Amino acid sequence: MEFADVAAVKVVSTSAVFLMMTIVLLAVSRRISTSILVFGLQSAIITAQVAGTAYLERSAEAWVVAGLIFVVKVLGIPYAFFWLVAKLKSRRDVQAATTPAQSVFIVVVMIFVSYAAVRSYAFGIRVPEDALAASVALILTGAFLMVSRGKALMQMLGLLVLENGIFLAALTTTFGMPLIIEMGILFDVLIGLLLMGIFAFRIRDTFEHLDVSRLRRLRG
Amino acid sequence: MVLLWPLVVPLLGSVVMLGCRDPRLAKRVALAFCAAEAAAIGILVWRVHESGALEGQYLRADGLTCFFLVNIAFIMVLALVYATGYLQHMGAGRFTSPRWFYALVNLFLFTMVGVCLSANLGVLWIMMEATTLASALLVGFYNTEGAVEAGWKYLVVCTVGIAFALFGTIVFYLAAVKAGMSHTSALDWLALFAAVSQKQFDPNLVRLAFVFVLVGYGTKIGFVPMHSWLPDAHAEAPTPVSAMLSAILLNCAMYALLRYDILVSRAIGAEFPGTLLVFFGLVSIVVAGLLILVQRDLKRMLAYSSVEHMGIIAIGMGLGGALGFLGALLHTFNHSIAKSLLFFGAGNVRHNFGTLRMDRITGMGRSAPLTAAALAVGALAIVGMPPFSLFVSEFAILSEAFSHSRYMVGGVFLLVLSIVFGGFAYHLFRMTCGEPHKGLPKPQFTRTEYAVMFIAGFLLLFFGIRIPEAFSLLLREAVAVLQ
Repeated sequence: MEFADVAAVKVVSTSAVFLMMTIVLLAVSRRISTSILVFGLQSAIITAQVAGTAYLERSAEAWVVAGLIFVVKVLGIPYAFFWLVAKLKSRRDVQAATTPAQSVFIVVVMIFVSYAAVRSYAFGIRVPEDALAASVALILTGAFLMVSRGKALMQMLGLLVLENGIFLAALTTTFGMPLIIEMGILFDVLIGLLLMGIFAFRIRDTFEHLDVSRLRRLRG
Repeated sequence: MVLLWPLVVPLLGSVVMLGCRDPRLAKRVALAFCAAEAAAIGILVWRVHESGALEGQYLRADGLTCFFLVNIAFIMVLALVYATGYLQHMGAGRFTSPRWFYALVNLFLFTMVGVCLSANLGVLWIMMEATTLASALLVGFYNTEGAVEAGWKYLVVCTVGIAFALFGTIVFYLAAVKAGMSHTSALDWLALFAAVSQKQFDPNLVRLAFVFVLVGYGTKIGFVPMHSWLPDAHAEAPTPVSAMLSAILLNCAMYALLRYDILVSRAIGAEFPGTLLVFFGLVSIVVAGLLILVQRDLKRMLAYSSVEHMGIIAIGMGLGGALGFLGALLHTFNHSIAKSLLFFGAGNVRHNFGTLRMDRITGMGRSAPLTAAALAVGALAIVGMPPFSLFVSEFAILSEAFSHSRYMVGGVFLLVLSIVFGGFAYHLFRMTCGEPHKGLPKPQFTRTEYAVMFIAGFLLLFFGIRIPEAFSLLLREAVAVLQ
């Protein structure tokens, strides 16, 4: 086997472990900037996995997807987030409802749950159990970040983590959806973030804070 | 090309509208694009009726598409004509100028027509997500505290919900690929439609996919417990937008779910999706029915009523059978018209009384008799009173339930209908009767606003008495796709 083949196989088979590590890092990070960096790292791992798959499957389409993800999720979105943080001039902590220790405990439980959930399916459809469990864990973590972090920016980040999980699920089970659909989804995600950014500015201007857990005028 | 026009017109419209700085010009251009879009939809529907389903690579149209497109066309015309009068009452701001309003509305229409026309489950998801994006700014249009909060909530809740639908789409794609379909055709609806009855789909995967799709698109439909965005968004949006959200957006989401329902029913039998739909429908009508009683805000009450009616439609779809499908489809149309009429009435109330708090409004019957009459007609129609068309569709769904001895479903349904009747009657009586407040300005509404409400009321009555031949043909062609 060529060196490149070995490297690609290793990247694809070990990325799940690294993704689980980013999940724990997200749980402990107290600052928005740290969370953004961890998200960038997570996207970089996924990019590596897509590139590895592309190399092994000899698929040109997958190379395009890898390039897109690298440009959008590793460079573009983190950069835009840092810009937003600077522009919004809000306090830098994530306003977590749980302590770091509690958060770690919760995400570890989520990882266990993910393994339990994919167990029966992974065998039936013949995909690596670790990768599928990592994708479910990412989805759960994204949802967890959205409900436990008060900052509007962290909710956006939680959504992105959730989206990463869904993308990973598609990648591991079917080597991704057709390219045009993949691009459409990415476009929607980008526009969604843009709109949430607009709303973040509006929330700050109307309420003079960015803590969306304190938005509770509309009830019942 | 026929398939493309209904998409091109509103997209072009949204771009052109941004250039119309003069409010008067904006109004005329908006109406022109509205007429062009109605014509484009009309031509498409005619072509499908003449030569059967139209197929393209990413777009297609069959009987079901046409039914929902006609629904869109009706509400679009009513809402836009109403908006031309309504916008005159609205204060000017940086992003609250008419041109932004019309541009966003056109974009919103583009995405909803896209949902109905998409031939590919991936495109369907993309368009469905785009409906959220296009309408989020419309929900937050007034830029008040409430509007910003509602807009943010709408964006976040619906995006997360729709993400689950994406997961469901992927699982369904996986099931199709595992069943031996090629990667390119495994999202194509027509190819899937042919394959589900011939190839062996893994039932576990199909069930998993349907659950996720139901939760995902169910968030947009407003099924309880995923409905939390709905009352806020409906109450805070400008009135024509509330009408469009309630009367077409929810239907479009239902349409997306139906496309899956058809496939899943063929792959693993209709019992599993049917049971889930009836279950979510029942939960939605019971919770929404009880919440209608305790509402203080008129538009929030109307929003909960939308949740209730989406539940009724889900029950009809879940029960299936000729009458169930027929009743459910007819109900989507009837509910759209009645709910638009009620929202238009609510818009007038807001301008006249400066509030939507129902406990602060009295004597509407004397101070604004035409608005009161419109609300009364709409309310009588929405609770399903006989001469109006909602009675027909609800009766069809009920008779489907009882003819298959689903007494529990029928019983709960009837109980909720009577609760809702009580709620609407109580709130409406308090608002219309009694002495009017002193010192309120005379209501100044344009003729177009009244004309639109009159047309909507007339349609409700007319469809209740007899369904025109052309419309019943449209309905039969749509039901044929579902069966």
